[in-house]
Amino acid sequence: MKRKLLSVILASAMAAALLTGCGGSSTPDAAADTGSETTEESNESAEDTADSTVEEEVAAAPSGDGSVYLLNFKPESDQQWKDLADIYTEQTGVEVNVLTAAEGTYSTTMQAEMAKDEAPTIFNIGNATAAQTWNDYTYDLSGTALYDHLSDKSLVINYDGKVAAIANCYECYGIIYNKTILNDYCSVEGAVISSVDDIKDFATLKAVAEDINSRVDEINDALGTNLTGAFSSSGLDGGSSWRFSGHLAGVALYYEFLDAGCDLVAGQAEIEGKYLDNFKNVWDMYVGTSSADPKTLEGGTYNAEMEFGMGEAVFFQNGNWEYAALTNPDNGYEVTDEDLGMMPIYYGVDDANQGLCVGTENYWAVNAKASEEDIAATLAFLEWVITSDEGRNAITNEMGLSAPFDTFTGDYEPENAFVRDNNTYMADGKTAVAWSFNATPNVDDWRADVVAALTAYTNGSGQWDAVKTAFVDGWATQWQLAEEAK
Amino acid sequence: MEKAIKRYFPIFVLPTMVAFFIGFIAPFAYGIFLSFCKFTTVVDWEWVGFSNYTRIFFVNGKLDTTFLHSLWYTTLFTAVSVLIINVVSFSIAMALTKGIKGTNIFRTVFFMPNLIGGIVLSYIWLMLFNSVLAHFSKTIVSTQWYAFWGLIIVVCWQQIGYMMIIYVAGIQNIPGDLIEAAKIDGANNLQLLRNVTLPMLMPTITVCTFLTLTNGFKLFDQNLALTGGNPGKMSQLLALNIYDTMYGTTGWQGVGQAKAVIFFILVALISLAQNKLSTSKEVQD
Repeated sequence: MKRKLLSVILASAMAAALLTGCGGSSTPDAAADTGSETTEESNESAEDTADSTVEEEVAAAPSGDGSVYLLNFKPESDQQWKDLADIYTEQTGVEVNVLTAAEGTYSTTMQAEMAKDEAPTIFNIGNATAAQTWNDYTYDLSGTALYDHLSDKSLVINYDGKVAAIANCYECYGIIYNKTILNDYCSVEGAVISSVDDIKDFATLKAVAEDINSRVDEINDALGTNLTGAFSSSGLDGGSSWRFSGHLAGVALYYEFLDAGCDLVAGQAEIEGKYLDNFKNVWDMYVGTSSADPKTLEGGTYNAEMEFGMGEAVFFQNGNWEYAALTNPDNGYEVTDEDLGMMPIYYGVDDANQGLCVGTENYWAVNAKASEEDIAATLAFLEWVITSDEGRNAITNEMGLSAPFDTFTGDYEPENAFVRDNNTYMADGKTAVAWSFNATPNVDDWRADVVAALTAYTNGSGQWDAVKTAFVDGWATQWQLAEEAK
Repeated sequence: MEKAIKRYFPIFVLPTMVAFFIGFIAPFAYGIFLSFCKFTTVVDWEWVGFSNYTRIFFVNGKLDTTFLHSLWYTTLFTAVSVLIINVVSFSIAMALTKGIKGTNIFRTVFFMPNLIGGIVLSYIWLMLFNSVLAHFSKTIVSTQWYAFWGLIIVVCWQQIGYMMIIYVAGIQNIPGDLIEAAKIDGANNLQLLRNVTLPMLMPTITVCTFLTLTNGFKLFDQNLALTGGNPGKMSQLLALNIYDTMYGTTGWQGVGQAKAVIFFILVALISLAQNKLSTSKEVQD
């Protein structure tokens, strides 16, 4: 009897496993919240796409039958997007699913999700390379409300004659510095500057960094700080090397593209590395005025954010997205909002006019392969996000993003020390440096080679010429490969 | 009874066969098909013939050695790890079947590393390695050989315990009377090992070398977390190289897939050869 019972249990367990294995379709979790009725309806209408009457209805009522599926790029704003989706569903009855890819797995998640029947209708692409990869899937966004509200029309990815994606935030990067320490330093005897504003070019910045680094103990005694060096560590491990192979190199690319007169974020097939010597000078300063051992930068043992946050370093090259982390009380950092400032990465090229580097890697693209209803619903949702109070509040105040749309005024203007600095530089008539590294062909491969050469140069096992080769020849090679793959 | 089993055989096998087909045969066949295609998502393909295979070795008309490098690097890694893991785990198994005190505790302790996931394990080892190597101004990814030995240490530490358990089971299965008879005949310990224990243990050795061999070729987690393929792509084992091609290079998903097919053929051939070789040495009783 017992044995019979056991076999029944085993058999049913197996059957259950089989059933879930086959039937477990990939509806993202938020779908569970909205009743099964909505899902059924939207499925039915999706099947009827060919039916012209349905299409007409959709044109008349854009937020009608379609559903929205957002594949979110930023893990830190997962909850905010889910909350926003719930509000929208409550108000309009349109189903909005949100799925967030874990850090560093966006492309893998996207490839899996896009192959499904219920594919994401909104996804993130970061640059022209991604626009190329997903060219078949990007919907032409020109003429949409989203595009009309975009205040700076350069914040889009144009690819293949269409507006493939529109920026959902803009970001700035530069050299983050500790205002309080740097101000106090000016009063130390023998300081090379008398005010922070004196740092207006690369030579001065380098002199300050070298001075602080060379007599760090003396300054600590005088100011009561616990500095270990001027710059925070320049880690060349995967978690940090993009700051240099991407962002720092981006400035060299920017000046070169500017001279060549080509599109600043689309780039060109061949580069000559005209400003690589400047890149080298800045890099040598980063490494030479930091307490980190240049031979071990690739090991991943350094945490530049922590060094800066704990007041162990005065300078830290990074972007405005660091604001949240640096001021988050959970992280226990010593710096506060008042300590934070950002200055341009002075390159020794056109320091007098150079502002911060302003751009983004976060662009919304709409899935062209989704049904008409879903596309209409998606566009309506995005418009709601950037025009409604709930949406604007979530973007600016809860996610802390700087949205590039003309609807973000008054209460919805971004509050962030770095963004404020950027506004000051812009008001002073400085020129924002475009994110030219977005043009990098096969960005992962190209950067990996540059970082490998840079690592060898920095730890003494290689020459600078190898960096130059990886930078210039690597660019041409990868560009050709990317062209072939089109 | 036997007849009844034969008659209902398809019904009993069906669920497993269906699962096996859905979970293995179908994706495998589709994967081979995709290696001849250019694709972005797996449902969206375009037939390109053998060009994916040629692009593994020739990039922009020049010979590209990245794949070949990771091929020999992986082969060397596998050879070294198979050797060390099997020799060490066999020795430990021998020591732990002598009936010394605390045998069970030792076995548990040696087995435990195997219970930790590869990624976590590698991150912990990464910290250990780097903090020790920092004294010498080196890191685990300073050169490909630091990375190589780092990987060997992590993999050995993880797998020795597991193989040891299999060896322990094998050794305990050797009939006591055989050993006793050999001892009465005057065999010393070395002769006992060479002429009784090892031949009787051949089936276990087959299993263990097979497992370590395929584990070595397929190694991914530890490679990703410990070295990430650095410096450059010099410490990329095959699996990571495939992953990197698939997701790192635009439009090269098909090439990654082609590499995976080559990888499969290679591992299948080598494991079959190894299996045949060591099975032929097994003693039939």
